[in-house]
Amino acid sequence: MSAARLPVAANKVWVFYAFALPFAALTLIFGLWPILLSLSVSLTKSATALRPEPDYVGLANYMTVLTDPIFLRSLFSTLLYTGFAVAANLAFALAYAILLHSTLIGPGKTFFKIAMFLPVVTPDIAGYAVWRWLFDQSFGAVNAFIEILGLPPFGGISSPDTVFAAVLIAELWHHVGFYILIFLANLAICDRSLEEAAKIDGATRWQRIRFVILPQLRPALVINGVYAIIQFLKTFTVVVVMTKGGPNGATNFVSFYAYRLFDQGRYGEATAMASILFFIVAAVALAAYRLGERGRA
Amino acid sequence: MKEPLALRVLAYGVAILCSVFFLYPYWWMLLGAFRSTEAVLTNPLALWPEQWDLTAYRNMATVGGVSIWSYVWNSIAITTGSTVLGVGITALGAYAMTRRPDLIAFRILRSGFLLTMMYPYMLLVIPVYIVMFKLGLLGTYAGIILFLALGPIQFFLFEQFFRSIPGEVIEAAIVDGASEWQVFRMIVLPVSVPIVATVTVITFLLNWAQWFPVLVISRSPETYTLPVALLNMTGELGVNFQGIMALAAVTTVPATIVFLVAQRRVMQGMSDGAVKG
Repeated sequence: MSAARLPVAANKVWVFYAFALPFAALTLIFGLWPILLSLSVSLTKSATALRPEPDYVGLANYMTVLTDPIFLRSLFSTLLYTGFAVAANLAFALAYAILLHSTLIGPGKTFFKIAMFLPVVTPDIAGYAVWRWLFDQSFGAVNAFIEILGLPPFGGISSPDTVFAAVLIAELWHHVGFYILIFLANLAICDRSLEEAAKIDGATRWQRIRFVILPQLRPALVINGVYAIIQFLKTFTVVVVMTKGGPNGATNFVSFYAYRLFDQGRYGEATAMASILFFIVAAVALAAYRLGERGRA
Repeated sequence: MKEPLALRVLAYGVAILCSVFFLYPYWWMLLGAFRSTEAVLTNPLALWPEQWDLTAYRNMATVGGVSIWSYVWNSIAITTGSTVLGVGITALGAYAMTRRPDLIAFRILRSGFLLTMMYPYMLLVIPVYIVMFKLGLLGTYAGIILFLALGPIQFFLFEQFFRSIPGEVIEAAIVDGASEWQVFRMIVLPVSVPIVATVTVITFLLNWAQWFPVLVISRSPETYTLPVALLNMTGELGVNFQGIMALAAVTTVPATIVFLVAQRRVMQGMSDGAVKG
């Protein structure tokens, strides 16, 4: 932090206000105003939401949403999916980062890093459009490959039993590189000499990973955990491109459901749902962050 | 340290397998763009086109009734506009806030900004529709560009960098009679070239991929960018597999080139912006 720096030329405060003015204006107009507006619209009757004098109906929209069985099912599947997705992404990222960082991988490391990060910078719409077709029953490479292996065909996005797995694979492909990158950044500042010492003391490879490397990765684990939870609670694009909430409502996650209501002009319910999801995201992220902080102390 | 050969082979095997998982969808997309739909149906796993079929690119003149060049132009204009604007505004704002962290107004502004960035993005976009409606910016480039200008990674990277400039240097210049604007222009800007480059590339990549705000703020396909056009195409009735792969390739390749040219910068920047935030 910059607490050590003294504010110089305190008489020129207005210059700094002028510097920050455009930034403040954008934050206010396209950040804080919409959030307040969202809260206020969630208290109005949808049909009147866009009028200058909307009808305020109190918490009626929240009641409608919270007693809507479709929403409750949507909330449940969102939480379930988030649990799976966070676990899968962090486990994959952790294992892969440790592998790339290990002395086992010498030449080619840059190539492996570029390969894992390329999907992150790929426009998500394009990536998911490709995955949607990869999973296709007649076009897709996935099932053609499985057939060669002699395994039973994978239902992909067309069956409610496999759609979670299909969406999860596509999202992992797009997001996991970012989590790997954070773990790698953490590994780069880890103390290699501790590992050497443990090796000389006769620790096995697994013991070194478990007792020397993992404890040092706590900061990255907290950051990735918080990011991943926020990321997957909001799962949206992949649903729009690959499943449209189907099959049978299996992937009708909260942000997609809220968007559909918004599209139908049900602004009150849509924004009420947005507020509920925001509350959950903030609470879970804060809890995860606190948990990490306490572990560190 | 000499590692046992068997383990090294295993490690490379896993790394190569994972890289295939990351890269194969690209190859399949590029192949799909150059292979006829029938060819893909017969053999989805081919690793090379039977013959280079350019039908998709020839038929790509219009998507959803709008010329493909309109989407390309929109993508370039909106991404460039929002990147230049966003980098400039964020740099100035973050600079002011790091120079005077003692001002209450700046503390409130910072918290407000962080709150905005924490708010689930696609849920923020819903009320943004109403804001744009009220400001008369629905369906305009200005509305889209202004909304895309700010982002958390950009802010954190600048904040982190400006905090690292030693205060003594700035103080010395002010003692010598330099104005704040001169300090910014002649001391801060010259040393900021690398960070500006990093933030610019990252913002470009992030905004190139944006689709939801563009879709919501637009009133017609006239202001759609490539990803939105692609989304529109996937929603169309009837299967135009080859066309979708071709448009996906057009959407992806520019971002891929920018990333490959600046990969070190992008990866370093992304991890710095996330870790210090």
